[in-house]
Amino acid sequence: MEPLFALLIGVLVGTGVFLLLSRTIIRVVLGLAFIAYGVNLAILTVAGLRPDAPPLLTLKGPYVDPLPQALVLTAIVIGFATTALLLTVALRAYQVAGHDDVEAFGDSLARDPDSPDGLHADASHLGPDEPTEAPTSTRRAPRRPA
Amino acid sequence: MGLMTAAVALPFLMAALCAALAGRLGRATGVLAALAFVPALLLASRTGGETLSETTRWVPDLGLNLVFRGDGFSLMFAVLIGVIGTLASLYSVTYLSDRERFGRFYPYLLAFGGSMLGLVLSDNLAALFAFWEMTSVTSFLLIGLWHTRSSARDGAVKAFLISALGGVALLAAVAMLGLAGGSAQLSQLDLDAVRASPLFVPALLLTVLAAATKSAQLPFHLWLPTAMEAPTPVSAFLHSATMVKAGVLLVAKFGLIFSVSPLWSGLLVPLGLATMVWGAWLALRQNDLKALLAYSTVSQLGLLVSLYGVADAEGRFAATTHLLNHAAFKAALFFVVGIIDHETGTRDVRRLSGLRRALPVTFVVAVLAALSMAGLPPLGGFLSKELFYETMWHQGPLFLAVAVAGGALTFAYSARLLRVFTGELSAPKVPHEAGAGLTVPAALLAGAALLMGLWPALTETLTRTAQEALAFASYGGHIRWWHGVTPALLGTLVTWALGAALVWQAPAAQRLQERLTPRWNANLSYVLILTLLNTLASRVTARTQGLALPDQLRLSLGASALIGGYAVWQAPQVLPRLGTVPLEALPVAALLVAGAVGVALSRNRLTAVVLTGLTGFGSAVSFLLMRAPDLALTQLLVETVTVILFLLVFRFLPGVRDLPRTRGRLGLDLLLSAAAAAGATLLVMASLRFLAPPISPYYLLNSYKEGGGKNVVNVILVDFRGFDTLGEITVVAVVALAVGALVRLGRPGQAPPEVDAEQLAAPAPRRKP
Repeated sequence: MEPLFALLIGVLVGTGVFLLLSRTIIRVVLGLAFIAYGVNLAILTVAGLRPDAPPLLTLKGPYVDPLPQALVLTAIVIGFATTALLLTVALRAYQVAGHDDVEAFGDSLARDPDSPDGLHADASHLGPDEPTEAPTSTRRAPRRPA
Repeated sequence: MGLMTAAVALPFLMAALCAALAGRLGRATGVLAALAFVPALLLASRTGGETLSETTRWVPDLGLNLVFRGDGFSLMFAVLIGVIGTLASLYSVTYLSDRERFGRFYPYLLAFGGSMLGLVLSDNLAALFAFWEMTSVTSFLLIGLWHTRSSARDGAVKAFLISALGGVALLAAVAMLGLAGGSAQLSQLDLDAVRASPLFVPALLLTVLAAATKSAQLPFHLWLPTAMEAPTPVSAFLHSATMVKAGVLLVAKFGLIFSVSPLWSGLLVPLGLATMVWGAWLALRQNDLKALLAYSTVSQLGLLVSLYGVADAEGRFAATTHLLNHAAFKAALFFVVGIIDHETGTRDVRRLSGLRRALPVTFVVAVLAALSMAGLPPLGGFLSKELFYETMWHQGPLFLAVAVAGGALTFAYSARLLRVFTGELSAPKVPHEAGAGLTVPAALLAGAALLMGLWPALTETLTRTAQEALAFASYGGHIRWWHGVTPALLGTLVTWALGAALVWQAPAAQRLQERLTPRWNANLSYVLILTLLNTLASRVTARTQGLALPDQLRLSLGASALIGGYAVWQAPQVLPRLGTVPLEALPVAALLVAGAVGVALSRNRLTAVVLTGLTGFGSAVSFLLMRAPDLALTQLLVETVTVILFLLVFRFLPGVRDLPRTRGRLGLDLLLSAAAAAGATLLVMASLRFLAPPISPYYLLNSYKEGGGKNVVNVILVDFRGFDTLGEITVVAVVALAVGALVRLGRPGQAPPEVDAEQLAAPAPRRKP
């Protein structure tokens, strides 16, 4: 049964990635939810899927591995919290930007490469191997002791 | 702790102490700082004896130990650092302004002193590199001490960038040497193995690069003059007597490894001579006394590099003699320039003259030091210049000719330096002789320069302390006044004649220099390279970062796909057999796939959410199939709440909108999704094999005994891993707060809208055990 679920997980994760790359913000949130579905199933699947009893001690053993189930239970709740937060952020982004197109949110950090960043060497600052006319350039200014 | 370790460690400790006490002590911190060099000075008592060795274990497994090796040359250098360091600290006590931040200056200076001592004494290659870099960093801090001045910042950055380039080269070089020589210690390298190794030539070239950047050889000389933005005591200590000689030290020490190759001297001797002549030429052109000394230092470093680069006994002997002489007269001259700057308020040669009457002591010191620099008897500089000419003559007449040209220019700029003392008195303010705090350190150094000239036997003894380490024991030559009529003597006479002519025809020489000024120089190309790099970095950043979200994700996912794909390609794939598929799995699979495909194809938001719910319920059923009833229940509840949440949010979002991707992007996205799907599938398949026995039987056995519950999953959550659950609840609470804040933010001053924070924050339904 594991290979079947491996394929299903692939489908879920692939769909999630496809949605994640969409332009509509809701679909981006849905994409993350799909990736979460896939990953939850993956955690259980890699522990091995055996037709044993659920880990309830009232039943007769042998039992399936309880640890991945505990992990996934946590993951489901956290996933829900993440979805809720993202959804609110999406709503807020829409309220601020006036549209729900993530490509046009204008959060591009790309800086004008020619804008001064204060790091450039001062090309007009002449080192001493440049002959200067006036002895009063900044470089030559004497340090006057107090 | 041995004396060498103490000599290296004490400056660092005292740096911390000075930083702590500077507020209380003020300028007297300098006296405290001078004490830090006492162990270094005490090393003088160990010179001439056996080679010392001290080891402090650090990470022995990696070959990282602090190994200090005190051979004659290293000890001589360490004592030199101690002497100049002490004098510079004492000099700065009087020199610095009251407004100076002593709590910065002295710690930086001492940290440099410790790094430099570590550099000369270190035998471990990694430690050698580390101390080398530390001198670069401390030099950066000291040059930029007056950081409110843009020229100081530029100078500091320039010095750091260039020495960092050399530092990287040195790192590569010592790594190669360590690999090829089979030891992390310089003195224990297997020289034959290094020389036979294919890494020999690359290591040689990198060492030359490192030495050239640190010792300001062409074309890297440009950083040294701008480094003169540092306070004058720093210039005397770092940028003339010690740090800039680190490159020379490298050439001297590594010369024993590399000198078998003709490439070594073939590179270093012409490089050194060219630097010597060009530095002297530029020095003659300067009007700022400190700039003049800076170029003079470049020139003298060229001389030293060429002499050590010759890499025979004679060259090393001459170089070591000159190294001592240069440290004495150049530090003295820097101190003199500091006094002139301090007393007159300018360093401009054109605004100063006739200072000899106002500053008589300084005048005597300056004359002695400058004559030593010019190579006139009876100063020490004369003796080492003779040795230099002698060595160059043995290299060939052409080398001697270049050396003589450099010597004549040196003569001329030394005279130009002294011009401020001759003629009528002229200065921006009436100068008075400086106090003993400034003149005594300068006078001591000038006295040393004189003594080394008057007493050649002393100079020879000092030089010979280095002979074992640098292997010039076989050199039978001696330092004498008179060697008979030799080519070197003729060279000296020609030097004096040419130098005197340059001094006599100074205006004509100056006009010639101005006419020969090249349109292009190293500084301009530095600025050009820096500007290009900055532009390139900005462009690359703009292209690769801060894109719109989908493009940014495509970039990251594409990179992950390539890296992950390579890993899958390399890893052996085991395809497990399908095994038995229970019949009830098929409808579940259909549910999951239908939801996924439906969402991907849906144009309508509402459809998308409903179909997502389909997948969610599908996965709940899968959990049942996987024998996880708790998960199935939780998933059902969460799914329900999620769908409700989406529907609530839709009230505030715009109507149905279709935002299609461009055809190219659609293709790319499909490709990336397929890659992600394949990657997830392969990852799950590859993870099916256990690498270690599962730890879960423990929970099954102890669930009831220790947790008192029969539902093992719930006992794990609330008991065995209770703190994890606490963290999870905290996350949910934080999310609730964030959601509440975001919702409130939407409508300032109004009641929150219908998207109810409490509803969002509703803790996930969980069954108690």
